[in-house]
Amino acid sequence: MSNSSLRSMVRSPLVVVVTLVLLWFVATFLVFPNVNLLVGTFFPDGRFSGGAVEKLLSSERAMNSLWHSFLLAATLAVTVNVVGIFIVLVTEYFAIRGARLLWLGYATTLIYGGIVLAAGYNFIYGRYGFITNAVRNVFPDVDPNWFSGYFAVVVVMTFATTTNHMLFLGSSLAKIDYQTIEAARSMGASTVRILWRIVLPALRPMIFAVTVLTFLTGLGALTAPLVLGGQDFQTIAPIILTFSRSTGSRDLAALLAILLGVATIILLALMNRVEKSGVYFSVAKVATPLKKQPIRNPLANALVHVAAYALFVVYAAPVLLIVLFSFLESTAILTGTITWDAFTLDNYATVFGSTAVLRPFVVSVVYSALASLIAVVGLLFVARILQKHRNPLSTLIEYLLHIPWILPTILIALALLQTFDRPNALVGGNVLTGTTVLLLVAYVVVKIPFTLRLLKASFASVPESLEDAARILGAPALYTLRTVLFPLVVPTAAAITALNFNSLLDDYDAAVFLYHPLYQPLGIAIKASTEGENNLDSMSITFVYTVLLMIIMGLTMYLVYGRSRVSPSRRRRRRSGVSVPDRTAEVLVAADPQRPPVRSST
Amino acid sequence: MHRPLRVTSVATVLLGALALTACSSGGEAAAGSGGESADAGGTLVVYTNSNGDGRGEWITEQATEAGFDIEIVGLGGADLANRVVAEKNNPVGDVVFGLNNMYFETLKAEEAIAPYTPAWSGEVDEQAGDAEDGAYWPLVEQAIVTVYDSADDSIDVPDDVSKLWTDDSYAGRYEVNTALGQATPQLVLAGLLAEHTDEGEDLGVTEDGWEQVEAYFANGTPAEEGTDLYARFARDEMDFGTIPSSGITSRDAEYGTTTGILVPENGVPYVTEQIAVIEGTKRQDQAQEFIDWFGSADVQGAFAAEFSAYPVNEAAREQALPEVIERMESLPKQEIDWTLTREHIGEWVEKTELEYLP
Amino acid sequence: MITYDNIEVRFGDHIAIPDLNLEVSQGEFFTLLGPSGCGKTTALRTLAGFIDPSRGEILLEGKPVTRLPSEKRRVGMVFQNYALFPSMSVGENIAFGLRVRKTKGAEVSRLVAEIADQVELTPEQLEKNVSELSGGQQQRVAIARALVLKPRILLLDEPLSNLDAKLRVQLREQLKNLQRELGITTVYVTHDQEEALTMSDRIAVFNKGVVEQVGTPQEIYERSATEFVCTFIGAMNRLSPELLDELLRGGASSLGAGRPSYVRPERIGLRPPQFAPGAVRVEGIVCERAFHGVYSTYTIDTHGSRIRALVTESGVPALAEGSRAEVYVDPASVLQY
Repeated sequence: MSNSSLRSMVRSPLVVVVTLVLLWFVATFLVFPNVNLLVGTFFPDGRFSGGAVEKLLSSERAMNSLWHSFLLAATLAVTVNVVGIFIVLVTEYFAIRGARLLWLGYATTLIYGGIVLAAGYNFIYGRYGFITNAVRNVFPDVDPNWFSGYFAVVVVMTFATTTNHMLFLGSSLAKIDYQTIEAARSMGASTVRILWRIVLPALRPMIFAVTVLTFLTGLGALTAPLVLGGQDFQTIAPIILTFSRSTGSRDLAALLAILLGVATIILLALMNRVEKSGVYFSVAKVATPLKKQPIRNPLANALVHVAAYALFVVYAAPVLLIVLFSFLESTAILTGTITWDAFTLDNYATVFGSTAVLRPFVVSVVYSALASLIAVVGLLFVARILQKHRNPLSTLIEYLLHIPWILPTILIALALLQTFDRPNALVGGNVLTGTTVLLLVAYVVVKIPFTLRLLKASFASVPESLEDAARILGAPALYTLRTVLFPLVVPTAAAITALNFNSLLDDYDAAVFLYHPLYQPLGIAIKASTEGENNLDSMSITFVYTVLLMIIMGLTMYLVYGRSRVSPSRRRRRRSGVSVPDRTAEVLVAADPQRPPVRSST
Repeated sequence: MHRPLRVTSVATVLLGALALTACSSGGEAAAGSGGESADAGGTLVVYTNSNGDGRGEWITEQATEAGFDIEIVGLGGADLANRVVAEKNNPVGDVVFGLNNMYFETLKAEEAIAPYTPAWSGEVDEQAGDAEDGAYWPLVEQAIVTVYDSADDSIDVPDDVSKLWTDDSYAGRYEVNTALGQATPQLVLAGLLAEHTDEGEDLGVTEDGWEQVEAYFANGTPAEEGTDLYARFARDEMDFGTIPSSGITSRDAEYGTTTGILVPENGVPYVTEQIAVIEGTKRQDQAQEFIDWFGSADVQGAFAAEFSAYPVNEAAREQALPEVIERMESLPKQEIDWTLTREHIGEWVEKTELEYLP
Repeated sequence: MITYDNIEVRFGDHIAIPDLNLEVSQGEFFTLLGPSGCGKTTALRTLAGFIDPSRGEILLEGKPVTRLPSEKRRVGMVFQNYALFPSMSVGENIAFGLRVRKTKGAEVSRLVAEIADQVELTPEQLEKNVSELSGGQQQRVAIARALVLKPRILLLDEPLSNLDAKLRVQLREQLKNLQRELGITTVYVTHDQEEALTMSDRIAVFNKGVVEQVGTPQEIYERSATEFVCTFIGAMNRLSPELLDELLRGGASSLGAGRPSYVRPERIGLRPPQFAPGAVRVEGIVCERAFHGVYSTYTIDTHGSRIRALVTESGVPALAEGSRAEVYVDPASVLQY
């Protein structure tokens, strides 16, 4: 940490080049367009208009929604931890029969979300859901609307956002030194006591980190409250989106977004603190791999098994339903009368029958892959520099790189569109509006904060002595980066690339303003095929697209993650004292934290 | 040994990617900025919010037959208008159609569209378009109507629409669309306020008007994303709701309903979908030819027959479906001050969002 | 060979090393010894070039290298956790520095095989992943990786601290033998005084960034220059003021009254000494005796002190716990500060 001064940054040509490129990128694509837009919004006639604050304060609805967003975030911080820690324990810590199957069930949240998820739950537990129907057949007095409002939103979002725990916490758990557990047991500690006093405290930093991510997800909650919140529990995100789209109300949107952004920044500062305290990594030199713990009390064992499988059903049912519904007529789904006649291949015929169904898939795959790769590869260098050189400049850059976490994607897209619609010296005098590049830029931009955070954490996990060793063996900085450090973060980088790729595939917010007419991306195609006043099959078609997306996303996840997952025990066995633990899993945070607080697409 | 190799391959992919984007950016930029005079050819980009239900495909097909090379870019109304305005310094689209008068008024005010008088200008009612300047021209008309299933005897049909939100027995039995970023709900709002406008008042609306809006939303049930109004009729969750008139026919067929319409004394809000050339297009001649072709009686007539639309073009109306003609003729047009509405709709939406939505 | 000339190291406002001056000779095994946080590792890392001193010069072979980046100093280093590259095989780890220098393939293989042989790594082990080796083997890889580049000096940062006690003793000898064989100037950092005493030619004892004493192991042990050194190295009895007074009364005129005074356990006699005629006798009670085979330790209460004595008892009857004892202290063996 001696190289903390600006001077040492200037000394390395690699650092200088990367910093210059970074400064250009940040200034051109992050600061300039957004400042442009915000200035135009808050200073419409060159004078500050403070009306927005007043309007918001006097609006009971806005204040309620804001309060609901924070309430939801705080609640989720608790509930997601409870469920998340439980599923991690039953898949990774306790000896539970069929843990692999359970893992797959719990992992379904990796490949779907948004409106489809909320709708899936609604079809099961909602007013016309079959669980509700079944229960009401027995107890007619049950309120058919029982699954709505705060409670329903919390339930759905709790299950939807445990992905963080599965991936982050799971691998943290794998890194606990088993000897500590053996030692505790030899001293006669009970299963519960070991869990409470040894295992959970060792996981605390990671639990804290995922809690922060969960909180952010809660703040930006959009679809679940829309579908399930009812009149009493609406959140702020839909309001922000509506106002973003209207020129006159954009100041309100920006103000609300900035408000959530401030909350985000406070949490980020907390995350930084946790990272700095650096208790992420096991201190054991030669850690003994974790062995799964049997639950010795037969009653407790049975209860945990039942709970684990009950959760499995809760997780897997919506996915199975979505697949099922993709083969059903819309009317049957919507009116809740499913008969054998209602099964049809028409939905798939409609999707595949339209003239150019494949093209949007290809366009989106290419855009998403390019954007994910550019973001990850570029930020590999950036994260490295920010992690190594702490000085006012790097701190400033780091905070600026988080702008996309603060502003909704819609505003970012609009800002880019309006800034680059004329020759701009920052991009060599070119006009970017109307070109294929601008959407790519937007995709890269929105993926920056998430990618940066995880890559930084990944670099931080590489012992500093490795780099010193390479240096003293005569390796120049770039050579060290290439041969020693990159191979260690490549698994992480691949995982981030995959998550970014998946989350960009069906993007609508950025594409709607920025896509080139000849290259229509998937999000737009889906919207087009599900809209229309006479299009009564829109829900079914959404389901078909969701099934197709789940297949692509599942494949992507399998490519980077699933193969090593197949034999988790083997992977663990390979770990040893010197090697840096494989952080792939750890870094596979759920798709959610990479979303900015507000995202309108489903 | 394979680790360094993997890094190399990642680097290769990256370089490839950069090269690719560099190429596309160079190419596109050249096409975008360099071809002011020469770029008369190429694909005509048509912006619309009216491409759903297979209309986009139908138009593309017909246009190709007629010798046009077009690409339809379909976006939601508000998004489309935003995009056209945001792109005005370097337009991507050449023609825009399907947006209603309100949006076209905005485009006109932002100087994002270029005035052009189409060959068929004499066949349409000037009042339906931009009577003052002729910046945009009308294509089809729709009414925004409050509907119910007249086959359902249990529904007590009120003699006036406003009873829905003034009479407690209807509380919660009618659907209100709260997605005020979209065109139809904005028109409903405009229709509600149209009887209570007063230039002198704040936001151009009297206190009575806002009371109406408040009651309307307070007593209704918000629409559910992903659930069609008629599906809610079918499961007896809802008795009334608001939709554009063009959606009625297909829903009656799908859900076996017989749609009844509540017709207020003052009439119902009509929306007219318009068409215009985008300002600054490099394919102005083609754009104008396309408008001449698309708005002609033949094409509009065929379109109306295909999609149960109600064309403004009087010659084309003959080809519209009889039931559509009959329905539209039974619906009186509400008087709405479009200039005032356009001027204030953003503020109305904002106020409603903040104060009156449930 | 190595010179620290007025070196000052600062971390922000904190001065880790105020003013360090050291000379290490060619071929010497030189140890930096001290408790954790005393600045010994900082001194080593400054020599390696990982830390820039805020003042002073480092000289190698008489030439200043302070401004030279570490990769140009031609020093080899073995890290506490070995810092082997997990993404490479054992052989690749050793060859790393050669590859950086663009050494030809055949030459690389030859040099790697040669050094592997020297540190007793088998060709099969060279193919393995580093994580498959035991701690001791990993340490040898780390040494081979440093030595293959034929550095001018070898820096070792607590290379034995990760190993279990038995292995540690064994590897101490191996390491010392290897160093002697190669004749390479070595700077060794440790907090383990036994390691320092057995391996080093000379030792510098660090405390709070300051060198308290430099000398051979024997000098350091027997003639500890400061109170810190004498208490840090080896076991030590601190004499109570009463006991010191008793010794003075018994005729130990060379000692000064009222000063902190220490005697090593093995210099305490329980029988009249043969070679120390000036030894003073005091009375005490045996409170504890522990038999260690070759020697025994006694804890004796005498004049307000609890004194440990280490004695060999071959052929003489042992003193029972609780019995009276005569304690002989040679004033010449008392260290006073």
